[in-house]
Amino acid sequence: MEFLSNTARDLFPLVWSGMITGCLYALGALGLVMIFKSSRVVNFSHGNVAGFAAFLIYGFSSGVLLELSWGMAVLLTVMAVIAIAFATYAVISPLVFESDLTATIATLGVGLIAQGATLLIFGADIVNLDLPVPRFSMSVLGLLVTGYDLTVLSVAIVTIGALFIVIDYTKLGIAFRAISENPFAAEVCGLNLRSVHLFSWIVAAVLGVVGALLIVPTTFLSVTTVATFMLQAFAAAVIGGFASLPGSLIGGILIGVLMNLFTFYVSPEFSSTFLLGVILLALNIFPNGILQRVGGSRV
Amino acid sequence: MTDLLTVSNLSVFYGAKAQAVENVSFSVQQGSVVALLGANGAGKTSIMKAVAGLISTKGTLTFDGVDVSAMPARARVKRGIVYVPEGREIVGEMKVRENLVLGGYHLNGRERRSRIEMVLDLFPEIANKADRSAWRLSGGEQQMLAIGRGLMAGPRLLLLDEPSLGLAPMLVRRVFDRLGTIRRETNLAIVLVEQNLAMTMRICDHLHFLRGGQLVGYRSAAELQDSAARQEAIDAYLGAAAAA
Repeated sequence: MEFLSNTARDLFPLVWSGMITGCLYALGALGLVMIFKSSRVVNFSHGNVAGFAAFLIYGFSSGVLLELSWGMAVLLTVMAVIAIAFATYAVISPLVFESDLTATIATLGVGLIAQGATLLIFGADIVNLDLPVPRFSMSVLGLLVTGYDLTVLSVAIVTIGALFIVIDYTKLGIAFRAISENPFAAEVCGLNLRSVHLFSWIVAAVLGVVGALLIVPTTFLSVTTVATFMLQAFAAAVIGGFASLPGSLIGGILIGVLMNLFTFYVSPEFSSTFLLGVILLALNIFPNGILQRVGGSRV
Repeated sequence: MTDLLTVSNLSVFYGAKAQAVENVSFSVQQGSVVALLGANGAGKTSIMKAVAGLISTKGTLTFDGVDVSAMPARARVKRGIVYVPEGREIVGEMKVRENLVLGGYHLNGRERRSRIEMVLDLFPEIANKADRSAWRLSGGEQQMLAIGRGLMAGPRLLLLDEPSLGLAPMLVRRVFDRLGTIRRETNLAIVLVEQNLAMTMRICDHLHFLRGGQLVGYRSAAELQDSAARQEAIDAYLGAAAAA
């Protein structure tokens, strides 16, 4: 009886905080899936570039590089990652049209360059990057809800909602979906495939910055912090089938909750093992993603 | 009548050694229908893709007096060269209306909306299914959508690759009737690759016979009234003999 009451007492806060973290994994996963859907490239540089962006915000706001307000530092960083996304795509775009695998391997190189640049500019020290969010907490139905929780939830809802609106209801979204499903049809219709690829690379880079900004305040900022966080985002994308935006959203939340429960009830030391186990299980049970649709085609 | 499209010494290679088309030359006049006839592997689709700018080629392509040989596919679409590929190639997960938007992607909003209305008027079979996923359409409806999507771009030259593929005879007749209507109403030029010889002879003005990537003969529609010339066309279709 006592076990059940303890479980109920712990379970809901764990699920709630898992969902909050899961929203961040979903932001990371959406970036990976956007790029994969449009250009069939798994972007292994996503975590390291987002980590570099987090350091840039730190550098621009702490006086290490500049002494700007937090908002200006974020704005400047977003501009920098858009430039990085542009440069990355410019370098690998010839490979994208030749071989998906070669382009994917090239992103590993871009990731190493981003990591090297972070170490070169900021060193290997651990730094603190705070997020200016309202600091309060309140109890809702016995659940402790903090200002950080609500900030993450609202930023994730607004960002993901805006992305889904663009993809579902705009001309650019139609181009993105067409290229994702049938690039030949898109080319026949006169679309510029490179422009749409670039759109997804830029959106992914910005999503990476948002994810990094929100995750770093819960821990500290080192050269590997955001890259490690992106491993969970990768698992979320796998659970979603790597080609489904809603799937990666659900995958993110699922990974957040499962990781929290495993860490609390089983063992924090084996959380990475558990994560890899979840990836393997998901690949075996849902090889095309958790939202795999039973569709069809007419001939 | 002036030539809308002039193809001069067109060659297409896949890889270093595999040559699909060799020194092909022909022209297409405004409002005319030119059919490319030949057995499988004769190079018909390669010529269509080459004119559309989807594969790299050697030779010269002049469209409306402008050399378009080096232009990418999207620039040719804007000029009015539109390819409706074999196998429809619609985007199944997108709605019928969204597929049409895709076809008129480079148009402004007002022009695009008016063209969508025009296409849906022309193909009433898909008009009441405009908000359905395209994969839910029947084969004939999907072909109408593919042609409608091609018309969205405002083509001056439509490259139609096997529009009757996989369709029941009644649907084939319906599709070709609509093509006839479009041609009459818009003075559109069409290059047609088609396995249905009877329908091809009904609609086309000129026939070019292809074999092994080379043009091996030509007949006009008037000449095809003669049974010997018709037999020659059938032989070319079957890959049995070259036309004179």
